[in-house]
Amino acid sequence: MKNMLKYRFVFLALVGVFLCSGSNSVYAQNAKKHSVRMKAYYTKIMDSVSFFKVTAFSRIDKENVDISNIELTFYNELDGEKIKLGTATTDMHGECKFVLKNLNEIKPDSTNTYNIDILFKGNDTYKKASKSVSFKDASITAKIITKDSTNYVSATLKDIATDSVLSDRLLNVQVQRLFRSLPIGKEFNSTDENGTVVATIPDGIPGVNRNLTFEVVLKDSDDYGTVMALVNAPLGTPIKDESTFDERTMWSPRDKTPLFLLIFPNLLTFGIWGIIIYLIINLFKISKSKI
Amino acid sequence: MEVSKKLVNDLAPQKFGKKGVIWTTFLVIVSIVGIIAYIDQVRKGQIVTNMNDYALWGIYISNFVFFVATSFVGAVTVAVLRLTKNTWRTPVVRIAEIISVAAIIMAGLTIMIDMGRPDRLMNLFIHGRMQSPIIWDVIIIPTYIAICLLLLYFPLLPDLAILKKHFSKINPKLSKWYGRLSLNWTGNARQTKIQLNSIQIIAILTIPAGFMLQTIDAWLFATLFRVGWDSTNMGGYFITGAAVAGIGALVAVVYVVRKAYKLENYITEFHFDKLGKFLALACLLYLYFNINEYLIPEFTSKKEEVTHMNLLITGQFAPLFWFVQVGGLIVPIVALFFKKGRKPLPMFFIGLLVVVGSWWKRFLIVTPTLLHPFLPVQGVPESWHHYFPSVHEWLITIATLAMALLIITALVRYLPVIPIKRTADEQELFETEKKSKS
Amino acid sequence: MEDNNKNTRRKFLDKGLKIGLASAIGSIGLTKIASKLNAETKSSSEETMELMTTDGTIIEVDSSEVEEVKDIADHETKYRLREGMPNRKFVMVIDLAKCKNALKCQASCNKNHYITGEHAWLKVYKMQEDEDTAPYWMPTTCMHCDHPACVTVCPVDATFKRRDGLVLIDNDRCIGCRFCMAACPYSTRVFNWEEPDYGEAAEVFLEMHGADQPHNSIEYAGVPSKIGTVDKCDFCPHKIHKNEVPHCVEACPNGVFYFGDKYEDTVTNGAETLRLSKLLEEKDGYRLMEDLGTKPSVYYLPPVDRLVDFKEGLNFYKNFNSVDKSDY
Repeated sequence: MKNMLKYRFVFLALVGVFLCSGSNSVYAQNAKKHSVRMKAYYTKIMDSVSFFKVTAFSRIDKENVDISNIELTFYNELDGEKIKLGTATTDMHGECKFVLKNLNEIKPDSTNTYNIDILFKGNDTYKKASKSVSFKDASITAKIITKDSTNYVSATLKDIATDSVLSDRLLNVQVQRLFRSLPIGKEFNSTDENGTVVATIPDGIPGVNRNLTFEVVLKDSDDYGTVMALVNAPLGTPIKDESTFDERTMWSPRDKTPLFLLIFPNLLTFGIWGIIIYLIINLFKISKSKI
Repeated sequence: MEVSKKLVNDLAPQKFGKKGVIWTTFLVIVSIVGIIAYIDQVRKGQIVTNMNDYALWGIYISNFVFFVATSFVGAVTVAVLRLTKNTWRTPVVRIAEIISVAAIIMAGLTIMIDMGRPDRLMNLFIHGRMQSPIIWDVIIIPTYIAICLLLLYFPLLPDLAILKKHFSKINPKLSKWYGRLSLNWTGNARQTKIQLNSIQIIAILTIPAGFMLQTIDAWLFATLFRVGWDSTNMGGYFITGAAVAGIGALVAVVYVVRKAYKLENYITEFHFDKLGKFLALACLLYLYFNINEYLIPEFTSKKEEVTHMNLLITGQFAPLFWFVQVGGLIVPIVALFFKKGRKPLPMFFIGLLVVVGSWWKRFLIVTPTLLHPFLPVQGVPESWHHYFPSVHEWLITIATLAMALLIITALVRYLPVIPIKRTADEQELFETEKKSKS
Repeated sequence: MEDNNKNTRRKFLDKGLKIGLASAIGSIGLTKIASKLNAETKSSSEETMELMTTDGTIIEVDSSEVEEVKDIADHETKYRLREGMPNRKFVMVIDLAKCKNALKCQASCNKNHYITGEHAWLKVYKMQEDEDTAPYWMPTTCMHCDHPACVTVCPVDATFKRRDGLVLIDNDRCIGCRFCMAACPYSTRVFNWEEPDYGEAAEVFLEMHGADQPHNSIEYAGVPSKIGTVDKCDFCPHKIHKNEVPHCVEACPNGVFYFGDKYEDTVTNGAETLRLSKLLEEKDGYRLMEDLGTKPSVYYLPPVDRLVDFKEGLNFYKNFNSVDKSDY
């Protein structure tokens, strides 16, 4: 009996030592590790992919520092179970993009909400962290309509699960451009009782080969994330390349020198050098005529 | 057509005495110091100069412009005086040609000092654009070097043959060299015909080439927007300025050579008198362009012109400006009006004054304009608001001047500074005329 | 006598033709030899290289058959670097009514282009035309003129105008004559008078930005700077590739800079995206030194209806400094 007690005592003591040392190291690591915050946005592009844009950053010395090169794992949370969907690694700026080719890859819960968890399991510098994104599936159908020789973009916003239109939501109607899209229509386009907005397409918007791509966007809604529909139409004015790159100008590279500068100076130069060479030949002639 | 022995003895090149050796050694030392400074510049970059993003061209460029201007003396003296049949030019033409050669060769070398990447010199030829005024410069300078050399060489041929004979016993090795360079000159009808024909051609060719050289140099500035440079006056301004600089240099060198070789009988007070009048004419023409350049803008008083004028006339550069205009231009004109001013010794000082004035004038053309750009000078260190050359720049620039003088010295040492054959011919002609009169 | 003349003339023509022919053949021969010497022929050695084909298989190829492609058509960007992006013309609009001299634009440009000299590429001038007229802050970048004086005078084609409006510099060709700097009326060009000093970060920095890939630096100027050559604002093509606006546009907290494609008639400052033509019409846009005929690509909106007092910007005004070296 005494022996057994002794062993148990020793065992407990050992466990205690391990725990302490373990927690000591954990404590030590915690003292050095920074906490990670994540911003996650869900975007769905109609008739195309959906994706998550996640930015990981940490607040160090009162400044936000991007956390690059960490792996984030995406899970579909359903009734307490986590189904792994895949991973993505953050780039130089702490951003990563995780693409879902098809919404059928994930399953919604009973309220028709999709729940996604993004997990970072932590490393030597940073603590582990998680972020959840929830969204319902919405759709925007956009088309071009023409009435009395004026063109409009008409778009209808629907909740897919309930198949009902969503009214009184702000949609951005814009023309796709190189850096940021150009808004058209009214300043605030709210969907009416039929879940529709109609925006006038102004004249004179230039497009390559007259082609314009219109975007109708439900931006950063709490329940549906961002939903974007695209529609193309040749309703722009053609783009004319006015650059002088192909012409002969004073600022062109030398294969396009103005003709006057190509001909006249060369004529002068070769003319004068022709005379100089003639004179040098004369020197040879003098040298040869000794008699 | 035997050339008199006396003539040859008087005009043949002589060995340098002590003064000559000291002079040459001094020039060599200055040149070497400059080369060392340049190597340091290549290693460290042009940060060793006092140039900055505003004063982006300094005395390297103004020195280059000075050399280009001085090289005009060949065109002016040899060609212009020849075409106007001023026969008194004979004793001074060789010196004029020598100065031209030295100046234009140094111009070609000096411009490379200002390049930030001299290792990429070949880019000028591989990738050159005809639209750029610098490329016009790159074309005209080698052309003018060739023309100056030919202008020096053709009339030299008979003299080289004479010198070959003269040195055949005294210094056989030197004699052989003269012989080779004289291209077997015997003075026969055929050779003389080719030579005279060539001289006529080169003398005429020198004029448009010289004018083009000065004009292209002017267009390096006139093709830019900057106030003080964007002037339609620039072409004529530079051509007349070059005439002044060239003739001034000629006068100074002629005086020194005359004294050193004791050529008082050949370059007489008459020649100085004529040169003085020639210099006065050039200075008057230059004064005309100066008035157009500096006085007339005051009439409309455009803001940017006034800034430029004030900088020169009353501001930072005023002492230099007035020295250059009064000392380098007005004083010579006034002095040269008087017969006493056209005597040899006063002419020497006037010549020096003109040359020094010309050198600083080019500095006033290049740098002050750069210090008042269109937009205010802000956001740069205080030292960037001024410019004075650094030690490196001075050493290198003085070395280039020394090298020019070295070339002149070398040519004066080995070539007859007065054309022997021509002088002999003219003397003979003079004698024949005298005989026919009596 | 006449016969003699004819003979000499014939002899001269004869000699002339012979010399002409000889020199023509000679020069053709020389150019052939020169081009052969310059060609990138690696002598046929036993060396082979491993390359990956488009479907992922690795093959071994004789080294002598592999030729380095330099700048002909950059495979990443799909256009010649000296020609530029097709169907684009980049313009900038600077709203002087909003500028408070915060200098965040200058700081961002300096940092991202690793400017180590004394002279920033982007400067905010304290402007006042006359004592009676109101002072204002005026940021200036390179104007990327359509009639560029700098490009016209460059002797070696080191600075060039592209189809997309950008005026860029090839720092591998520049000979440092500074003629372009003398020509620019906007004083926007900067010269590298000495070897750029990147401080302790030098090794890492140069490796990161591929100092051994010279042709990329045409579209990302100053990275690295080269001694004895000229640099200037390049409208950040390396950002345009990522569909992002230049660093100054991004960094400005007051929305002063708008950037966009003139052919798309759209400019954005990050927050607002507007029709360029409408903006210029409504706010009376103008260009700097229009009468010089340089046709700049930067438009200014006059400083009317200002939101902030000019004097507030004086706190940040540094007359003798535009580059803060504490980052290096």
